[in-house]
Amino acid sequence: MAKVESTAEIPLEFSDVSGQKVFNVKNAPVANTVGELIAEMISVSNMNLPRNDSNGAPLTYQARLEREGRHLNASERIGDVLEAGDHLTLAPNIDAGMR
Amino acid sequence: MQLNFPYRFAVAMFGEDGTELGTVLVKRDWEPVADWTRFYYQRRGALPLAESGSASILPLWEHTLGKPYCRGYRVQIEQPDRRPVASDFPNTHFRDFASSVASLYVEQKKLRAGEYYSYMVVAHPARTEALKPGGLSVVNTSPSLPVRDGSLATFMAKATPSGVIDSDDMPVFVHNHVLDETATLTQRHRGTEVGAILIGKLWRDEAVGEIFAEITAQIPAEHTLGTSVKLTFTAETWAAADAALRLRNRGESPVGFAHSHPVFSWCKGKACTPEAQKVCHLAKDFFSADDEAVMRAAFPRAYSVAIVANDTAFTDLTFSMFGNREGLTQARGFYVLEGETNGA
Repeated sequence: MAKVESTAEIPLEFSDVSGQKVFNVKNAPVANTVGELIAEMISVSNMNLPRNDSNGAPLTYQARLEREGRHLNASERIGDVLEAGDHLTLAPNIDAGMR
Repeated sequence: MQLNFPYRFAVAMFGEDGTELGTVLVKRDWEPVADWTRFYYQRRGALPLAESGSASILPLWEHTLGKPYCRGYRVQIEQPDRRPVASDFPNTHFRDFASSVASLYVEQKKLRAGEYYSYMVVAHPARTEALKPGGLSVVNTSPSLPVRDGSLATFMAKATPSGVIDSDDMPVFVHNHVLDETATLTQRHRGTEVGAILIGKLWRDEAVGEIFAEITAQIPAEHTLGTSVKLTFTAETWAAADAALRLRNRGESPVGFAHSHPVFSWCKGKACTPEAQKVCHLAKDFFSADDEAVMRAAFPRAYSVAIVANDTAFTDLTFSMFGNREGLTQARGFYVLEGETNGA
């Protein structure tokens, strides 16, 4: 069941997996998807996390919602799954190796 | 830390005969060098431990030619009511970018394969770009460096150096059992890359003006996909490591990662001779572009380190450590700790 939306934007907190970088967003639009928000957050002007691997292929990040202890699907809508003040950890799928 | 770019940097490329081939706007990741500069001054007590202030990337003009030619660049960190601090870096920091441009020019037949080329770095004032309306309003609330007070001499008394120690590097102390456990993990999955998350503590010795790291444990990386040539860390890997760290509840933080390089397997696949294996650059102190990408994505701060377990056919398992030195990921030495220490 979708949550009742009383506002068009909500504040959220993001961190990288090490907790070394933490950023607060004051106005995450509830109509946007989680995937759109992640793309915005990793950009140079925000958390400045790498967007590509060493070969230039796009890196995939998943947002883990602390409150529920689960990774959100990129297609989920912010207004449906997140509450004001939620903490999200951006976790990359990334390769170490000989390349 | 906010990065300001009052200038735009470009490389002017020249062929073997001095012909100018073109000028290309520099695209590079400036954060590691800015973060290294900040941490360098935090170690010496010249900057607060909190994430604050902004850094500007400025050109250092070439002495003879002057503007717009650069002999390097400066990272300058502003701080309220105090003089800014700065570190200078040479043009060699643009070498990788110039190399990628040269590869492109070979494809475009502007350069012949194998032809020598040279480059000069130039900088021009950047236009001030207007803020885009309707964007996210984001504030950096990253935590201060998680340091506690300790004695460097106490750690040194129980430590044995491993590898080449550079006195400019932050001292890193690794408990012997961490290396033993990493070795066991490597040997249990011999031939397949395996990994672990390194956790520990940062200490500050104000008397000597230094911050140093203690690696207290390794958390085996779960939910990874390993082959002989790569190791994929998944979103579940990070969640499991975080859960283990919380369960330990010993005031530790993530400080990096460890993983194995089954070099013997790589050599076997290439049918390298034993003589070739002994001098191969992959055998020791090899950190790939992929490995660097993991560091940048998961452990971006300048105090983070990585350990590689080198599993070769011709010697016992060895360990290499890598960290951010002057903005570049480089092999570095560390100290092996025997016994317990409480930092006092």
